[in-house]
Formats: sequence, structure tokens, C-alpha cells
Amino acid sequence: MDWAYIGRVLPLYGKAAWLTFRTGTAGILLAAAVGLLGAAALRWRVPVIRRIVSAYVEVSRNTPLLVQLFFIYYGLPKIGIRTDPEFCGIAGLAFLGGGYMTEAFRSGIEAVDSLQEESALSLGLTQSQAFIHVILPQAAAVSAPAVMANVVFLMKETSVFSAVSLMDLMFTAKDQIGLYYRTAESLLLLVGAYLMILLPLSMLGTFLERRLRHAGSGT
Amino acid sequence: MKNIRRFFAAALVLALFVSVSVSISGSASADAVYRTLDEILADGTVNIGVFSDKYPFGFVDENGEYQGYDVYFARRIGEDLGVKVNFVSTEAANRVEYLETGKVDIILANFTVTPERAEKVDFALPYMNVALGVVSPDSRVITDLKQLGPEDRVIVISGTTAEDYLIKNNPEITLQKYDTYANAKNALENGNAAAWANDNTEVIAFALENEGYTVGIPSLGSQDTIAPAVSKGNETLLNWLNDEIRALAGEQFFHKDYEETLVAVYGLEYEDSLVLEGGGLTE
Repeated sequence: MDWAYIGRVLPLYGKAAWLTFRTGTAGILLAAAVGLLGAAALRWRVPVIRRIVSAYVEVSRNTPLLVQLFFIYYGLPKIGIRTDPEFCGIAGLAFLGGGYMTEAFRSGIEAVDSLQEESALSLGLTQSQAFIHVILPQAAAVSAPAVMANVVFLMKETSVFSAVSLMDLMFTAKDQIGLYYRTAESLLLLVGAYLMILLPLSMLGTFLERRLRHAGSGT
Repeated sequence: MKNIRRFFAAALVLALFVSVSVSISGSASADAVYRTLDEILADGTVNIGVFSDKYPFGFVDENGEYQGYDVYFARRIGEDLGVKVNFVSTEAANRVEYLETGKVDIILANFTVTPERAEKVDFALPYMNVALGVVSPDSRVITDLKQLGPEDRVIVISGTTAEDYLIKNNPEITLQKYDTYANAKNALENGNAAAWANDNTEVIAFALENEGYTVGIPSLGSQDTIAPAVSKGNETLLNWLNDEIRALAGEQFFHKDYEETLVAVYGLEYEDSLVLEGGGLTE
């Protein structure tokens, strides 16, 4: 193990970790937004849109991210839509994650008894007030484990970004091995960097699940 | 409590990983991972690492068969050894790794001889000349790297000599790295970068095959050679390959190889500058 080499390339892995974290976080936040909208459309049975959401969930969950990235990065430019690699990575994650998040939120919302909404409405709350103050907190408690699992899953999916020339952690390690043949050092740095990103994330998940359990105590 | 326990579990896994990789890096050279000539002959199959997406050197044709200049030579090696050839598809960045881990016996994937690589693998006699080249769209032909502005990207393939050269000699150029030839070509066609730097054989082929592209820099850096490689220390196989390459000079094998696989792309114009017989040694 060549520690001097590790010290020398550490900034490179720092940059790659930042890219992984930055694109991962942006993609996950967008995916969560898509998921909320999708779940809401399913909940209120919005005509037409509801069917589109169902189809989207099936497509996004049943195609690999690699294929989605290829489509966005190499396919779309053929019809004149050019995207830069980072945008493409984030869009791919949002597309894939949106489907998973829709399902996670949908199951949470469905788990809340319809009596809850009816009671809220009869107490004079408007439909959106009832959704925000009564249904959503309880639904969030139910959805939390699935949502957090999706967050960690999506962060790990960034490892296929090499296909669109994004220098994420995985590609940086592969590139270093290809250039300087430091396999052991590169793999060590790779695992260490992923743990540094993912371990706090999954700990945060455990913490949030515990906190949110209180909100669900009524169900 | 649960979180703390989880943290320790992860720390333990990491520690285990460190110790394993430390011992791997310490012992890699001690244990032979390669198969000697006799073991290959006894097995009846030789594993040869080739490109599957580098036309016209190593690629898969429409029938799913491996073809190309390297593959033609690989088939001949199989014939003369009297064994079956098992083609293993490789990416540029994997070539050293495949030999170090014994996944293949021979790498025949347009592998340029460099001093850094020669520390990790053993090169046989060369069978082809190569230099670096840069191809760019006709709309803006790059004839000098100085023409590249801060906004311009240059495509390279991860783990190639072109990448290594530009990192060392032109660190000011922003590289856009791809892991496969197929992706790099696609990206250039989509206009994602100003130019593509690679072996000049490859960029010349690209410009000849695709309208609208010009090789503005036909030769960059030093003239190098391309050779088969075996795992470090695999002397029996290395010696056999060297004898084979010397013997094939008698029938001008690599000229025939060129005429079978490369002439359709390059014409006869490049034959004498590209092809090396008998390792380039004058008889």
C-alpha cells in the first residue's frame, strides 16, 4: 500500500465525492418532488394524468438507469436536444427515483384511513389543509423507511455515471487503475469515500424514522 | 445505541478491507496468477483479451464474430498453438488488470508499449506502429492544441496513452473521459466536445468512415509501438510469442493481416508505415 500515492490523489477523490454527493442529492430531491406530485395525482385520481403517472412508474422502475442515461445523453442529441453530462446524470436519477418515490409516497398516503380525511373536513379544514396537516404527517411516518431506502439506493446508483463521462467516485477509481495500475489503493479510496457519504445518510434515515414514528402513533 | 453499533460494524468492515487490500498489494507479485505455455496447451484453450468496439482492430461484426487486425493475429496464435481461442472483451482501462488477475493469458487489444505499462506486464515484440492523433469536426478543425479555449473539451478514453499524454503534457486542457470506444465516438458525433484524442490509427479510421471530420493533428507526441502483452513473469508464453512473431516475418504475415482487415479502411497508403514484421528487426 503506497500511502504517498494515496495522499497525492486524495484531492481527486475529494472532487469525485463532491460530484457524487452533489448530483446524487440534486437527483434525489427532484425525485422526491416528482414522487410527491405523482402520489398526489394518484390519490386524487386526476383524470388522464393518473394514467400517465401509472405508466411512468412502470417505465422508470422497470428499465435500468444505464439505459435511461444512454437515452438522455446519446439518444436525445440525435433529435437536436443536447444535454451536458451533469444535467443528464441528475435528470436520469430524477427519472428513475421519481417512480420509486411515487410508489413510496402512494403507499404511505393509502395507509392513512379515509376516516381521517373525512373527520378533518367535517371539522372545517379545507382539502389542502387536511392533506398538509392531517394526512401528510401520518403518511410520512409510514413512507419514511421506504423513502430512506430509496435515498440510499439512488445515491449508490450514481456509480453508473461513467457512461456519460461524469467523473464520479466509481469512474475516478477505474480511471486511476487504468492510468497508474494502483488497484489496491484505488479500491480502498473508493470504498472509504462511499462509506463517508452513505453511512451518515443511512444513520440520518434511522434517526428520522424514529422521530417520525410519533406522528404515526394514531394509526 | 443501534447507530453506534452500526458505525462500529462499518468501521470493522473497512478495517478488514484495508488489511485484505494491503495483503493483496503485498503478495500480488509473489503468487503466479498466470498460466504457463504448458498449462495452456494442456487446457486446450487460450484466453485472449481483445477490444469488441475498436473498429477495425478489434470489433464484433454483424454476425457476432470477433474481427479486426488484432483478432486476425489472435486466431493465428490459436492455430499455431493448436488450441481454441476464447476471446475476452476488454476495455482500455482493464487491460493491465486482466493480465494481473489472470483473467486472460494474452492481451491483444491495440496495447501501446509504454515504460509504465512495462513495469506491470511483459510486452512481446511489437507488430504495429502508432502515434497519437486528434480528430475534430470540419466546422472547426483543430490543427494545434493551442487553438483549444478554456470552454473546449477534448474526448479521451479512460486508460489510453492519449489520456496519459494529455494529463502529463497539457494539463490545461479539460478532458471529457469515456470508458468505451463506442461511447466516445457517439459523444463526438453528438458534438459534446471540440475534438477526440486517441491513437492516430483510430482517429484516421474515424475520419475516413464518417463524413464531416478531419484529423487536424495526425501525429502527437512520440512514435510508439503496439505489442501483445502477457502477465509479468510469464516467460514461457512470452518466449513462444516472440518466436512466433519472428517466424511470421518469413511469410510477411502482418502485411497479409493488414490487407485482410485494414485495407478497406486505410487503403494501401498506410501499409508500410503501420505494419511491423518480426518485431521491426531488420533481417
